[in-house]
Amino acid sequence: MSSVPLMEGGRNLVAETGHLSTLLPLLVFMCGMVGISLFVRYQQRTGFGSNFVQQYFIGNHDLGGFVLAMTTVATYSSVSSFVGGPGMAWQVGFGWIYMAVVQVTAIFLVLGIFGKRVALLSRKFHAVTVVDIIRERFQSDFIAGMAAFIIVLFFCGTMTAQFVGGAKLFAAVTGYSYEMGLVLFGLVVVIYTSIGGFRAVALTDTCCAIMMMIGIALLLYYVLDAGGGYAAIMEHIRVHEPQMLEPFSAGKMPWGIYLTQWILVGICTIALPQSVVRGISYKDTKGLHHAMLIGTVVIGFMNIGINFTGILAHGVLTGDLASYGGVDNIIPTTIVTVMPQSLVGLAIIGPLAASISTISGLLIVASSAIIKDVYLHYQEKRNREVSTGQIRLLSMVATAVIGAVVFVIALTPPSLIWLINMFAFGGLETAFFWTLLLGLFWRRANRLGAFLSMGGGTIVYCLAQGMGFKIMELHQITIGITCSLIFFLLGSYLGKPAEKQVLEKFFPEEL
Amino acid sequence: MTEKEKYAQVRREAGFTGLALLALILFWLVAGFGAAQLDLEVCGLPLWIVTSSLGVWAAAIVLVKLLTGFVFRDMDLDEQRAPDGRGAEPRG
Repeated sequence: MSSVPLMEGGRNLVAETGHLSTLLPLLVFMCGMVGISLFVRYQQRTGFGSNFVQQYFIGNHDLGGFVLAMTTVATYSSVSSFVGGPGMAWQVGFGWIYMAVVQVTAIFLVLGIFGKRVALLSRKFHAVTVVDIIRERFQSDFIAGMAAFIIVLFFCGTMTAQFVGGAKLFAAVTGYSYEMGLVLFGLVVVIYTSIGGFRAVALTDTCCAIMMMIGIALLLYYVLDAGGGYAAIMEHIRVHEPQMLEPFSAGKMPWGIYLTQWILVGICTIALPQSVVRGISYKDTKGLHHAMLIGTVVIGFMNIGINFTGILAHGVLTGDLASYGGVDNIIPTTIVTVMPQSLVGLAIIGPLAASISTISGLLIVASSAIIKDVYLHYQEKRNREVSTGQIRLLSMVATAVIGAVVFVIALTPPSLIWLINMFAFGGLETAFFWTLLLGLFWRRANRLGAFLSMGGGTIVYCLAQGMGFKIMELHQITIGITCSLIFFLLGSYLGKPAEKQVLEKFFPEEL
Repeated sequence: MTEKEKYAQVRREAGFTGLALLALILFWLVAGFGAAQLDLEVCGLPLWIVTSSLGVWAAAIVLVKLLTGFVFRDMDLDEQRAPDGRGAEPRG
């Protein structure tokens, strides 16, 4: 993720007309994604009978280290990491890389802190979702329901932003329409996620992450080539844009941005439900350890690689920002300018892969929140049997319907869509950071604390965002995360401690 | 490993992961803002640019290597039944 929301204006076409050849690689890639999904469905046809929910929503504790690393990175890295982020790097310089590099912590932190705890607990409670674990820990259907609601709400916002970002990029680079892009990659991601469930998401994410890295390497090569080589481009920057070589970039990068970046896209991302759920999905601890290493290598390569490419684009795009129509147009313009026509189609797969891998990861978790956390739980409480056939149908329908709703919103995107992306990121962190961290590691954490922290913290965060209220010009995540901690502590010390039998299950080490 | 030992080990691992984060934040400060005070160049770039990007990345990789090599331990994730026989009842 990049902390700066993409801005409006990416929709004016950079490429004049569409060439069918530019579509071909993308078509092949998307067909491959659907193929993987169908294969997963075929492979799991026997198992799908007995334990459908676990297989569809979590892939049966089956992921190895490499796939775990790739799916965690791919879900985390969104289209703004590939478009808005490097566009800002073009404008700001090396301070932007210094800021973006804090994301190397994202993978090892979530897997190192929550990976095993969540794996052990999920096996103990047969949990399939993060909400399952929250429900068991706080013994509250209300808090679980609130968590599911927050997930669905904020995920839909994030997914819309991914759809819009991907489709705008598609239109700008290929010359085909925005709507066509939306159908080509947007509809397909909804289809393959619905068919194959979590396992298909994990495998397609792996392909996406690989394509992202290839895309970055390709673009970097051609940018260097078109800009007359590394030395020439750096000389240009040194002479014309010396502030790009300063960490504060002549005031464009105040310290507050560095601080909030650490909180918003570094530390607090460990509590994002779409990341934590991956702790339920892997096979063994060897895999987890490998994933921490591979994930850190990959996310560092992507972040440094793509933002460095953004800076080097100065060798090609020598005009001022306004002449390109905003930071969002920097990368599309660069692709069209430096890539040979025959490779444009391949180059666009990288950023689109970033977009679809985030959508698929969020879509399957949103669907599990509705089916597993709300519907099935409600039926179970009323002692109603739901047949496997029904669950299978409902799960697929729920996934497809959420995807379709987001798709329709993206067809006529609200103008503030870019704000929604970061807004949702901060909202999810405010809601889940303390609830998960303290809930899983602190005995004293209780129901009242979780309720106040998740509910109150999220409301305060939304109000601060809505009214544009900031403290010391810092992003509202600082307000949200602080209030949510205060509420949690208040509730935990004022309310009753959790029941003994719950503590015994969650903290056997402290008996 | 007994269940108790597993959970204690997992708590220890989480704590050390937190320490690794602190170490990386310190490194990040020194490698970026700190190194920017120096008037040194590497590969035609001011030193801080290299240490704050590739340097921080490498430091993170080394820290993860240290974590998985010296702190993290392999364990069987599947549940051993609790002595009272009350494991978890299957759901979903």
